Amino acid sequence: MTSRPEHLPEQLALLSDVHAAEHLTAGVLEGREDIPSIALNKVAEPMPSDDPRWRLHRVRDLIDDALSRFRGERPTAADAWLAPRLHETLRMTRKEAADKQFWTYLAVGVAPDYVVWRHLSDPHRSDSRARVARDRFVGPHYKQAFARLWWAAELFRDGSDYRPAVATCGSQDMLNSALRLDVVDHRPTALALVGLLERGTVRTGREVNALTSAVNAAAATLMYDVLAPDAERDGEPLRDWIAGAGSALPSPRDQLPEGPEEQPAQPEAVEILVGHFAELFAEAPVRGRAPHEDE
Amino acid sequence: MRAYPYPRPTGEVTARVTAVRLRGPGDSREQLDSKAHSVVDQVVALGMAERADWRTARLSLGVTVPVRELDRKGHWSDVAVVAVLTEGATNARTVSRLQPAAEASGEWVGEIELDRDDHLDRASLVVYVVATVGGVSGRIIACTEREWLIDMTADAPRRDRELDVTAVSFARGAEWLRDFRDAPWVVDTSGRIPAVRLNSDFEGLMRLVEAEGTKTEKVFGRLLMAQVCADAWVAVFHTAIGDLEIEDDGTPLFPADWRGAVLREMLPDVLPGRSEEDALREVHRRRIGEGSWTDLQPRIQYAAARRAEVPKELADSVRDIARLDQETPA
Repeated sequence: MTSRPEHLPEQLALLSDVHAAEHLTAGVLEGREDIPSIALNKVAEPMPSDDPRWRLHRVRDLIDDALSRFRGERPTAADAWLAPRLHETLRMTRKEAADKQFWTYLAVGVAPDYVVWRHLSDPHRSDSRARVARDRFVGPHYKQAFARLWWAAELFRDGSDYRPAVATCGSQDMLNSALRLDVVDHRPTALALVGLLERGTVRTGREVNALTSAVNAAAATLMYDVLAPDAERDGEPLRDWIAGAGSALPSPRDQLPEGPEEQPAQPEAVEILVGHFAELFAEAPVRGRAPHEDE
Repeated sequence: MRAYPYPRPTGEVTARVTAVRLRGPGDSREQLDSKAHSVVDQVVALGMAERADWRTARLSLGVTVPVRELDRKGHWSDVAVVAVLTEGATNARTVSRLQPAAEASGEWVGEIELDRDDHLDRASLVVYVVATVGGVSGRIIACTEREWLIDMTADAPRRDRELDVTAVSFARGAEWLRDFRDAPWVVDTSGRIPAVRLNSDFEGLMRLVEAEGTKTEKVFGRLLMAQVCADAWVAVFHTAIGDLEIEDDGTPLFPADWRGAVLREMLPDVLPGRSEEDALREVHRRRIGEGSWTDLQPRIQYAAARRAEVPKELADSVRDIARLDQETPA
C-alpha cells in the first residue's frame, strides 16, 4: 500500500497537473508504489504568501488521525468526520480554494496514502486490479479526494454550523450527486436537500439521485433564489476567521468544530424549499419504484 | 429553441452596468473609471482599479424589460427582476432584486455586490425576469441574451482574452522550465489562464519580440509572435478537450473556466455549421478514438491560426518586406 511520504516540508505548496501527471503512475494509482517525495517537492511551487494557514503538519496530523480512527471501518465513513475538520483547519477563501494546484499538492505531495486508502475500494467495472481513479488526485472539485470534502463543508454548512455538511458527507449518494450541481450554490437549496435526507424523505441512493435530478431540472424554469431568498453574504466574518488561524487550536477531534460566524440561512426559506422539493420528489421517477406506488 | 410549459414574453431583456464602486479596508472607496466597463463587449475590467487592496465591488445596474408586452398579455403577475452573479470555479452565487425605476417605464435599477474573496477569474452576470405564471410562483420568464462578464484582473474591458505572454529565464526560473532551456518558448496551460513563457536566455529572442530592433527585425518579430500564439492556441485547445467532464450518458460538458471559453471560440472553426454542443460531442468522440482524430488536426491548426491572426500578420509582413526592399537601393 502507498505509504506516508518520507519527506514532508514545513509548508504546503502548489502542484500543477503536468507535474502531478509525471508521478501518477499505474503503480501509484494501484497503491503499489510510493511517490518520490523529494523529487516531487522540487517541482512544487511555494504558496503565494507565508501564512500560518499553510503549515503542512496541521493538516497532515488531521489526516493521520482520520486514518487511525477509521482504519478498521469502511473508508467512506471518514468523509463526514474529515470534511468539517479539514475545512476548519484550512481556513481558506473560495478564491484560494478554487486553485486546483493546491488540492493536487495535498493529494500527491502530502497524503497520497490517504487518497489510496480512501478511494482504492471504489467499485470497478471490468478490470480485476483495484485502482484509484486519477480524478481523485487531480480532478474537479466534486471528485478530487480533498477538494470534495472541503467544498461539501463550504457549500453545505449553515454559517458556523457544520452539521448539515456532516449529514451530506454521511451519504455518499448525496455527496456525489449534489456537490456537482450548480443548484447547491444557493444555500437554502443545499440545506433543503440535506433536510429531506435527515427527515428520511429520501433514503436510498436511487431516491437521492431522483431528488437531486428533479430539483436540478426544475431549476431551469424556477428561480429558487426568489422563492427562498438567502441572507445577504458578508465577507467580514470569514476574513476574521481566517485572520484567527495563526492562534487557533487544532481542530477538535471529538466535537464538531465551528466555522466562520456568518449569518445562517433563514429557516423559513429552507422550509419553503423542503416543501417544494418534497412535492417534486413525489412526482419524480425513481428507478425501481413503480409509478404511483405511494398513492 | 427550448419549449417551455408556460407563456414567456418574446421581447428582449437588456442589462447595463452603469457604475462600479469599490470598497477597501478602513472604508476606503473608489469609483471605477467608466472606461473600465464596456457596453459593447459587456465586460467590467476590475483590474483597472487604482487601489490594489479593494475588497468588494458594487455594480450599479440598469435593466430594460419588455414592459408593454408584459402588461398587455396579462399572463404574468408578481413580476420581479433579479440579477444573478455566478462563477463556476468558486461556486459563487450572489443574487440581487432590482426595483422599477419609474412607473410602467420598463426600466429597472439596482445594485449587486461581489466580494473579491469569492471570485477567481471571471464572474458572469445574468438578469432574469421572474413571475407568477398559471399559479406557479418563481417562474423564470425571460433573461438577458448575453451575460456581462466581470473580470477580476483584466486591465481592459475586452471579451476576447489575450494570451498572457511573459519572459522568464528558463535556466534560472521554475524547476520544470529547466528541462526546456533550449526552447525559445513553451506554453503553460496549468494555471488560471493559459500563458506563453518566452525564454529570456534565448539569444536575440527578446529583441525580436519587444520590437526594438531594425525595421526587418520588427516585421520578423510580429510574425514570430503570431506563430507563437498559434502554437499556444493549439496547445490550449488540446488541453481543454483533454480535460472534459463527461455526464453519465456520455455527453461532454463545457468546462466553466477558460477551457470552456476557448472551446466555444474555436469549435465553430474546427467543425463549422454545427451547434456548440454537437461540435463538442463530435470532437470528444474523435479524440477518444471513435472516428478520426488525425483528420481533425488541420482544422484545429486552422482555428488556432485564425485566432492568432496568422494570415493577417503574414500578409502584412509580406507587404512590409516588399516595401523595405523598395527602400533599399539594389
